[in-house]
Amino acid sequence: MNEILNIKYEKHVLENGLEVVLYQDKSLPIVSVNLWYKVGSANEVDGKTGFAHLFEHMMFQGSKNVPKEKHFKFIEEAGGNLNGSTSLDRTNYYETLPSNSLELALWLESDRMGFLLESLTQDKLDNQKDVVMNERRQRYDNQPYGLAWEIIFSNLFPKKHPYHWPTIGWMKDIEKFELDDVIDFFKKYYSPNNASLVVAGDIEYNSALQLVKKYFDEIPKGKPFAEVSVTSEILTENKKIVHQDNIQLSKIYLAWETAKLYDTDDATLDVLSDILTGSKNGRLFQSLVFEKQIAQDISSFQYSASLTGMFIIIATAKPEVSLDELKAGIEEVLAEIIENGITEKEFNRAINTVKSSFIYSLQNLNSLANQINNYNTNLGEPNSFIPDLERFQKLDYVSIKIAANKYFNNPYVELHIVPKEVNNAN
Amino acid sequence: MQINRINPPKNNGEIKFHLPRFTRFKINNGMEVLFLQKNHLPIIKLSLQINGGSRFDPNGKSGLSFLTSLLISEGAGEYNSLQLDDEIESLGTLYDPSTDNDVIKLSMITLTEKFERSLELLSLIYQEPIFSNDDFLREKKKLLSKIIQNQNEPDYVATTNFDKIIFNNSFYENSVIGKTIDVNTITNSDVINFHKKYFVPSNTKLIVVGNIAQAELESILNKYFISVEIDEVELQKAFSSKLQKSKFYFIHQENATQSEIRIGHLSNKRSESDYFAKVIANSILGGQFSSRLNLNLREAKGFTYGIQSAFYYYKEIGYFEISTSVNGKDTGESISEIQKEIAGLKVEIKDDEIDFVKSYFIKRFPAMFETNSQITVNLSTLLKFSLSENYFDNYIERITNCSREEIEEIIKNQIKPDNLIYLVVGDREIVFPQLKKITDLEIVELDVEGNRV
Repeated sequence: MNEILNIKYEKHVLENGLEVVLYQDKSLPIVSVNLWYKVGSANEVDGKTGFAHLFEHMMFQGSKNVPKEKHFKFIEEAGGNLNGSTSLDRTNYYETLPSNSLELALWLESDRMGFLLESLTQDKLDNQKDVVMNERRQRYDNQPYGLAWEIIFSNLFPKKHPYHWPTIGWMKDIEKFELDDVIDFFKKYYSPNNASLVVAGDIEYNSALQLVKKYFDEIPKGKPFAEVSVTSEILTENKKIVHQDNIQLSKIYLAWETAKLYDTDDATLDVLSDILTGSKNGRLFQSLVFEKQIAQDISSFQYSASLTGMFIIIATAKPEVSLDELKAGIEEVLAEIIENGITEKEFNRAINTVKSSFIYSLQNLNSLANQINNYNTNLGEPNSFIPDLERFQKLDYVSIKIAANKYFNNPYVELHIVPKEVNNAN
Repeated sequence: MQINRINPPKNNGEIKFHLPRFTRFKINNGMEVLFLQKNHLPIIKLSLQINGGSRFDPNGKSGLSFLTSLLISEGAGEYNSLQLDDEIESLGTLYDPSTDNDVIKLSMITLTEKFERSLELLSLIYQEPIFSNDDFLREKKKLLSKIIQNQNEPDYVATTNFDKIIFNNSFYENSVIGKTIDVNTITNSDVINFHKKYFVPSNTKLIVVGNIAQAELESILNKYFISVEIDEVELQKAFSSKLQKSKFYFIHQENATQSEIRIGHLSNKRSESDYFAKVIANSILGGQFSSRLNLNLREAKGFTYGIQSAFYYYKEIGYFEISTSVNGKDTGESISEIQKEIAGLKVEIKDDEIDFVKSYFIKRFPAMFETNSQITVNLSTLLKFSLSENYFDNYIERITNCSREEIEEIIKNQIKPDNLIYLVVGDREIVFPQLKKITDLEIVELDVEGNRV
């Protein structure tokens, strides 16, 4: 069964440093072009947050040979779909379109990699500042519990840590984006030697490579820049934050700093989250939602990135239930695992789920191309589905107890989101 | 070597796409099956579709269909709730029950090697749910809390209240998850009876997409799905909402930083004769990123992160709706701009707009058949709206042949400015004065549950 995860590919590095991975799959006449730039919000500095994400917007505003509004239009006209996303460590751009339009996608991606600044204007920046502020309002400020994520990050990671601020940026920073800073940011990070390109789907290796070279070869190499540095400061005592929001059911969040992406413990903690909340039989779910019925819902996950990771537990209290009661219920379950571990049966159930999810993930070309790029960028080897799966298969049920002991005894951030106090003044 | 980048490159030849074929057959208990064999990966997608969505909720029992879809997987056959879940998860199979206004769907995605056991469990869920009282009380309580929780989601408040206004006095009026006052009265017997009435072979269809041969599939299905004696499923009264005259509605949310806006009206049922003309007309207005509404309100004005419009379809009716979320202080101007775009659409559409939209739908066609789940969605659309067997065979031709006259006819007669219902969810202090400025119409204020304030 693992054999279908063993993908064939070709990898080339252009003279300007651009990494190119080609993956052939002719089951449908479509192709995915997936480009990662190794820049994310971690490359920003305090006071100028949100730049990496702003770029995800500016990159769709046209470039030297592509008029504003035409980037989307060219792809849509070709029957494709497209988007981009920004995380802590990388920004990606991707489009899936009929395979006879591969050249169009490469033309568009190379034009904005090589020639974006020629068409960048103050008007475009002002417009996208407004759009980003509205994105921030819609996704975070005007969402119930919407600020939880940034409150946790900014408390778990100290002010000097590159994961301290939200990816979208602080509103006060977004408001004062300057054109010169935008230009500097682009020059520094949007270069071929800081990027990785995957072309996947209905392609021929040789002609696809020639097309990539045609459009990307002439883009000059960028200058080297200093790597992101991490402060060695860590959380030394528990932190509790209470935040009032327009909500009626309170939520509690518990967050620990843990292992980074592709670390062995990263896999262990993924399995642990499944054992805690992955199903009705999850330890936390069964105890708090099913038996005691003090939680409306509960989830947990390991969120990991290049520099570090965190494990988080989120529970919503039933009406009339206090967050302290909920927290005590969570602690009781964690203490049991720290003390006695889990059963082999629980472990096997979780591993089966991981294994089948690897197979299911092969269905969609766009996400497959993105995962190949993830492996290439983070591990230097595009064909890493099997080693990735083996990180899980090499574990055993005892490793879960060890990880629980290693991390759950450390200081953590505790966030309560509670209903606004009713103002009865009138 | 410098290359010429000025013009976009041309397509490289034509693509070859073979539309996958599905078959339709009945199993021994009378249940109809739509099946498409896809061998690319060792995966099978299954979807049991029961004609028993929230529109079948009895009067005063909104939420019953939804609650039934939750409770049905709380134990079945010899397994209690936790045991059943354990059995499914141990297979690595994903199980997902869902309900909408028309249909309850019990879906699974499984590895081929685990297909038979997964199907056996699905048949138990469908045929032999336990419906224990403890599970009922717990899930009902959770549902009541969920209703409260949703009242703080601006997007949810806007969408459900808009439905309530345009579908007033019909079986599409209530949200799928129901109203507190109704859910309070639901008993476990209601759930048991709902299951008994609707979860019968003649009222259910099964879609299977994946890596299995038809003969093997049929034999497995016949092994696990049993016949049941049933009463005739009773027919519902006809859909009864009427098109309304334009009116403004407003729902206050303290300190909302944005306003949720919904604008639209009832429209006719999905029909193959005008479906494609509606899709094209709407795409020009607000159906895509490069639509007039989005290019204006997002890319020119920066009022919003995004805006979209669509003709949506339930089984018995359709509706037209524009939806967006805008910065509070731009609420009035956003609505004015939306009105301008509708008026502008009625003045003129350009050939290149029509060509652009047609090109998009024609060329993206192969990508609609990529994953097993996408194909399942396509087949369920076919079932839900009783589309013709060759619907997908003729899809590209239908779009290609859609004439300018047909599209203009839709714009003229199916987008009705005098019947548009406007709903805004936002902060009263910021929004109300702006609404007063842009309309002389009555502004009706509602609470989050849709009651007049």
